[in-house]
Amino acid sequence: MTEQGEVVMTIQLKRRGILRTAGGLLAAALPLPALAQRAAPPKPDRIVVNASGGAMANIFRRTYFAEFERRHSIRVVDTSPVDFGKLRAMVNSGNPEWTVTEIGGQDATRAKEMNLLEPLDTSIIDLSNYPAVGRDSHVYVSSAYSTALGYRTDVFPNNSQPKGWAEFWDVRRFPGARSLRNHPVDNLEFALLADGVPLDKLYPLDMDRAFRKLDAIRPHIAVWWSTGAQPAQLLVDKEVVLATGWNGRFFELTRRGAPVATDFTGGSLKSSVYGIPRGTRQAYWGQQFLQVMTDPRLQAVYANELSYAGLNPEAMNFIADDVRPLLPTAPENMGKQFWLDVAWWTENGARAQERWNRWMLRG
Amino acid sequence: MSSPGDSRRTLARRRELGLFLLGAPALLVIGLVFAWPVLRLLSLSVEGGTLEHFEKAALDELYVTVLADSLKIAAMVTGICLLLAYPVAVWLSRAGRLGLALGLFALLLPFWTSVLVRTYAWLVLLGRNGVINRSLRDWGWIDAPLPLLHNLGGVLIGMVQVLLPYMVLPIYAALLRVDPDLSRAAEGLGAPAWRSFLRITLPLSLSGVSAGCALVFVLSLGFFITPALLGGGRVIMISMLIEQQVREFLDWPFAAALSTVLLAATLVIYALIGRLTRGTRHATP
Repeated sequence: MTEQGEVVMTIQLKRRGILRTAGGLLAAALPLPALAQRAAPPKPDRIVVNASGGAMANIFRRTYFAEFERRHSIRVVDTSPVDFGKLRAMVNSGNPEWTVTEIGGQDATRAKEMNLLEPLDTSIIDLSNYPAVGRDSHVYVSSAYSTALGYRTDVFPNNSQPKGWAEFWDVRRFPGARSLRNHPVDNLEFALLADGVPLDKLYPLDMDRAFRKLDAIRPHIAVWWSTGAQPAQLLVDKEVVLATGWNGRFFELTRRGAPVATDFTGGSLKSSVYGIPRGTRQAYWGQQFLQVMTDPRLQAVYANELSYAGLNPEAMNFIADDVRPLLPTAPENMGKQFWLDVAWWTENGARAQERWNRWMLRG
Repeated sequence: MSSPGDSRRTLARRRELGLFLLGAPALLVIGLVFAWPVLRLLSLSVEGGTLEHFEKAALDELYVTVLADSLKIAAMVTGICLLLAYPVAVWLSRAGRLGLALGLFALLLPFWTSVLVRTYAWLVLLGRNGVINRSLRDWGWIDAPLPLLHNLGGVLIGMVQVLLPYMVLPIYAALLRVDPDLSRAAEGLGAPAWRSFLRITLPLSLSGVSAGCALVFVLSLGFFITPALLGGGRVIMISMLIEQQVREFLDWPFAAALSTVLLAATLVIYALIGRLTRGTRHATP
């Protein structure tokens, strides 16, 4: 019931959006204790890092956690899952248990607006060589992933796959069953790119134009996928020959020798982000933990194994040659893609989804 | 002085109270974890004293169409389950000890596997290059793969497989209660087997049929993973739209309104099923 209450409060807050934003701005403008000028606060015996768990937790343990424990002799305890409601409740209670937490993609904007996060202390966390998208005031971008095109290499050998969405839409030159996600996110962007909108002119999205373009591809979509494992499965089973999907899933198939490859042209980049819950007692050590996460050598371990590469450009120096072209953050791939505008989707997601549902129903 | 009738009544009342007290913890749990949240949900849907959410949920073409489709799919699943389950239940009720054990084991085995895993198994079986289509092609029975997946047919196959036990078990239980001497007497009096089935066994098992139908129908309405995966995105159930509102957009008042409309539709249908089979319940010996 508390969780239900939480969400009710969230919704009520949503209505008072303007007030809340104003409050957030005010809080951000207030002078904050300059952490760096202070001597390091006493060491706790442990910090708590909350993330999504799974295969990732395993690699984190071997890299970031181990390095933090080595540098500072403070134990790292990890918890999961990522839970926005819980973050809110913790901050409101005034004593967050988490020192650092991962934040789900679209929730980062909300977390900032609701003033749930400590500002990042750039005198501790060195972001100077990060790209602009990785230099936020409150959220640390740990890695990037992309929704890109997966294809069968036996159907499109010798680099003959469609490159970009205009070619994906061209069913005469590139015949075969296709799969797109059953969701407006990414697909509206892809449709607009197919219709000739340049990468840097996507937002705000022209929904009318996007749906008109989607009408043209609809008969050729054999499957509208709904879970991340599906596109990989569909390609392996040869149910379709072209499918959009999260690059990590295709990466795994390619590494295991399946006839599947990824084309990043027009791919949609998204970031995994971390923040320090506002009011946590170990905030200083949280900043130190995020600093450990900027270590390019450790980021490279993560990228080599799961393809989720960090934004520190130096990480590329430690990545295996055969892995590099498979990473969304490799410089040669980065330029072909766009960053999904999370703010636009937070604002317009519900409207776009409803229109998407109507559109699907008509088909 | 109380009459013997009075004391008997007091005794009966006391016994009733005792039984009520024994049941009280369960009632309390149901009240706390079910009735109270449902009431909260109802109140959430009219939050702010506005009926706009209901207006949208009950009148907007999108939601009306999806609700009607969901009810239709639930009815189809229920019908197919009934047709498949009845013979199985009859067989189980007459099977020997070994047959019964094997039958129940086969029936309950899928319960130990997650619905998600079973749904993925269907993807492997029913796909264009799946086991079924490949075998049929290898045997030369078909030239082009049959469209078994990513459409309504695929959704029905997947849902029926998951829900079948919920239909078999109540019918089986009802059939066990039918006195076999009744059929024997009917046959002794010269009724052919089909007539004794139609006039005796079938009517006496209707309470199980109605319980099974109600269970399967209601559970069908709540499905969203199976139709999302096996329908290839072309089958939209109202539960998927509710889930979107709850999880993605945090629009709980609208989700509550949609749920309430679904709950109302379900209750109406439940009442109809009850009414259709009510007469037969009294006939149970």
